Amino acid sequence: MSLEEPRPTDVGEAADGTVDYDELEALLGETALDREDHVNAPAFVVRPDEVQEALSALREEAGFDYCSNVTAQQYEDRFESIYHLKKYDDPTQEVGVVVPTPTDDPISQTGEPVYRTAEWHEREAYDLVGIEYEGHPDMRRILLPETWQGHPLGLDYNPEKPQVVPFREHANPLQPDTRGEGAESDTMFLNIGPHHPATHGVLHVKTVLDGEQIADVEPDIGYLHRCEEQMCQQSTYRHQIMPYPDRWDYVSAGILNEWAYARAAEDMADIDVPEYAQVIRTMSAELCRIASHMLALGTFALDVFGDFTAVFQYAFRDREVVQNILEDLTGQRLMFNYLRLGGVAWDLPEPRSEFFEKIRDFLDGLPEKTTEYHNLITSNEIFQVRCVDTGELPPETAKQYGATGPVARGSGIDFDLRRDDPYGYYEELDWDVITEDGCDNYSRVLVRMREVEESAKIIEQCVDLLAEWPEDDREIQSNVPRTLKPDADTEIYRGVEAAKGELGIYMRSDGTDKPARFKIRSPCFCNLHTLREMSEGEYIPDLIASLGSLDIVLGEVDR
Amino acid sequence: MASALTALQGAPLPDRLVEVLPFGSGPLGTAIAALVGAAIVGSLMMTMTAVAGPWAKRKVTAAFTDRYAVNRLGPFGLVIIVADAVRLLSKELIVPEGVDRPAWDLAPIVLAFSALLGFAVIPMGSGIHLADPEVGLVYVFAIASIASLGLVMAGYASNNKFSMLGGLRAVAQNLAYEIPLILIAVSVVLFAGSLQMSEIVAAQAEPLVTVAGFSVPTWYAFVNPFAFVLFVIANLMEVGRNPFDIPEAPTELVAGYQTEYSSVYFVLIYLGEFLHIFLGGAVIATLFLGGPAGPGPASIGIVWFIAKIWAVYLFTQWARSALPRLRIDQLIEIGWKGMLVLALANLVLTAVIVGVIA
Repeated sequence: MSLEEPRPTDVGEAADGTVDYDELEALLGETALDREDHVNAPAFVVRPDEVQEALSALREEAGFDYCSNVTAQQYEDRFESIYHLKKYDDPTQEVGVVVPTPTDDPISQTGEPVYRTAEWHEREAYDLVGIEYEGHPDMRRILLPETWQGHPLGLDYNPEKPQVVPFREHANPLQPDTRGEGAESDTMFLNIGPHHPATHGVLHVKTVLDGEQIADVEPDIGYLHRCEEQMCQQSTYRHQIMPYPDRWDYVSAGILNEWAYARAAEDMADIDVPEYAQVIRTMSAELCRIASHMLALGTFALDVFGDFTAVFQYAFRDREVVQNILEDLTGQRLMFNYLRLGGVAWDLPEPRSEFFEKIRDFLDGLPEKTTEYHNLITSNEIFQVRCVDTGELPPETAKQYGATGPVARGSGIDFDLRRDDPYGYYEELDWDVITEDGCDNYSRVLVRMREVEESAKIIEQCVDLLAEWPEDDREIQSNVPRTLKPDADTEIYRGVEAAKGELGIYMRSDGTDKPARFKIRSPCFCNLHTLREMSEGEYIPDLIASLGSLDIVLGEVDR
Repeated sequence: MASALTALQGAPLPDRLVEVLPFGSGPLGTAIAALVGAAIVGSLMMTMTAVAGPWAKRKVTAAFTDRYAVNRLGPFGLVIIVADAVRLLSKELIVPEGVDRPAWDLAPIVLAFSALLGFAVIPMGSGIHLADPEVGLVYVFAIASIASLGLVMAGYASNNKFSMLGGLRAVAQNLAYEIPLILIAVSVVLFAGSLQMSEIVAAQAEPLVTVAGFSVPTWYAFVNPFAFVLFVIANLMEVGRNPFDIPEAPTELVAGYQTEYSSVYFVLIYLGEFLHIFLGGAVIATLFLGGPAGPGPASIGIVWFIAKIWAVYLFTQWARSALPRLRIDQLIEIGWKGMLVLALANLVLTAVIVGVIA
């Protein structure tokens, strides 16, 4: 914010920076039928044919420029879509828009013209729950195959029924070579993936090429869909859900993911976390972030350098140290399962001094490594020629697509939930949010490299705190009931800053010990949506570089 | 016998073999001698490739990237060469549907042999020199360029879009770099006054300066370092190694023109690639590093020559481990707008140097 021109206060924003929901209700007027109370923020109920009207009023007048998630679910008597809106400037200002639709005619107006990110969210809602969105530009399934019968998260879905699909209904994935009108068209259709060296997992990118340039690109996801939401819905809050988040973003970001669930569930059931456990959580989460960013750096170098070069190996060498530390702490290298509701699983490993020494050794060596990376990568002229001004994502577009994490910060959006919507111990520590204004592949890499340094700062302070912590005050878990049954019809949406951006969880309780609806807002899912904006008109190598700079993990995209 | 060998010291290898082999000097004897000579040089190069591909490349890359490589089989893991050969040759040759059969089958052979043929005119020292035509340099470039044809054949005949893109990139790249490469080689011809390889080597024999009793020869790398650097870069582009491995571009085009090749054809393509690197090294050694010249008696010239080739090979591996890949349009731009202009400037510079010296 510039000093001379204070931001005009949005409608519905009180002087102290909180949301005045009465004013918002007045703004929505006739559109708002009712107001629901969710744990995170109130939500307004609107008619299915007035979705766009309500959303654009909230966006244009009230300044809710960030649609973080769209949740769909089925009740006994109705379908419901919930748009979770926030502000990039202050994500604590939240509001929900609830759109009920009748069971026999689940048609709702699309929110896509207001928030582009809703395009994929609504496709997912259609795919898994079965709500149709009127006016949606591309109402197809997104995670499941086109031939799938039924909507798995709908109440009347019968999972026992075999999916019998006639052979002729399977579309040939190899589409015709040309596009457009007849033989005059000189574009070529190219399947990049699902088996391709640079897709970071099983991603299928349908590309239309004009020579070597990208005329059109469409990511085709869902190859790694493992029903994570449904599995969580069939598991108990207290113990059974926690191992699953490790499997979303499975490249060493486990504890960050676990925290997303822990935070949502703790806020929902009003569980306190001891301060000591919060410091351990903060430290281990930042270790995970370093490991994840190192991997992102290494694989991006792999994409741009074109081979398993020195950079890739160096990044993995340094990541290995972090992995060893995390192994000492959690006993695992990949699926940590370390956080518990109300704290962490166990205290730091004994002897503590040795453990701290290990971390400090790593942190002391980090500046030298960082210099090495900058020498090898960011100051390399060829690297700069390849990455500067390619894969451009202007801030406004990034906001439209709900981009978060290093992707948003690489586009100059100063948005980090650790600072803006504080949790854990971050508020007490001294660190900075990194942004770069380049909006290109280069900025995104630079953001990650600098974030590693910030994470190191956080870890260092945590280690100092933990080393000094009085021995009789080391409470690692608060008292949490053995069986957790939040009150019926409690709804919550909470996000944390995971390695890739805002990882949010929506949960609705029906009074039992298992969530009635468990929805994951995956940062990679939204970030991947921006790929088309980034790569149109650029060359194939730029597309590959952009894909690498998004740092997607397909386990989290497809869930 | 010994005296006959001494008398023929400067003559090409087949001429001397005619004297040694018991087939007389008729047409049959000459043909057999030529074949035996070619077999010797070919075997030497193939052996070097066998060491370079499965073993040296892995060892060198591992050293650059801070890890271990092939250290299980035999001393220093050298037996991996045998294991890899068995593995590669015993794999199934998969012929994809819709390939353009004669072209698809010929491409690997063209690629391997275009490189192998180039060694025919390279004087390797210790008397290993198959032929010494007066237009030797032109012959090397002409033969090496046939590889582009092989790349196009492999690219279009594979019936694969990645191969197609790889083949197209290969042509664009080779066009952009063949011309600067040859222009720089012309500057060497200006120095030596001959296109004959043995003449070029001989012209680099005289001492340039003597510093503290240590004499520096007139290797053209010392006489005109500018041309040397340009040539090494252009050569890197010509053989398609990082940062110019654009026709293959593993992360973009899977494997470019060679995507659909397996088993023996894959081996042939790889053989061709390594032979091309070595041929590039041999040309650099001959044009700029005095060919087989080095300390010690002339009879160990081959050792120096191979050392120089391997030095160039190590350089390509270094570049591979450390440098990012350029984009195709940037590469073409550098080729036509940068290298070509510099090559012409180098030609002028060389003319000036030659004028001053002469």
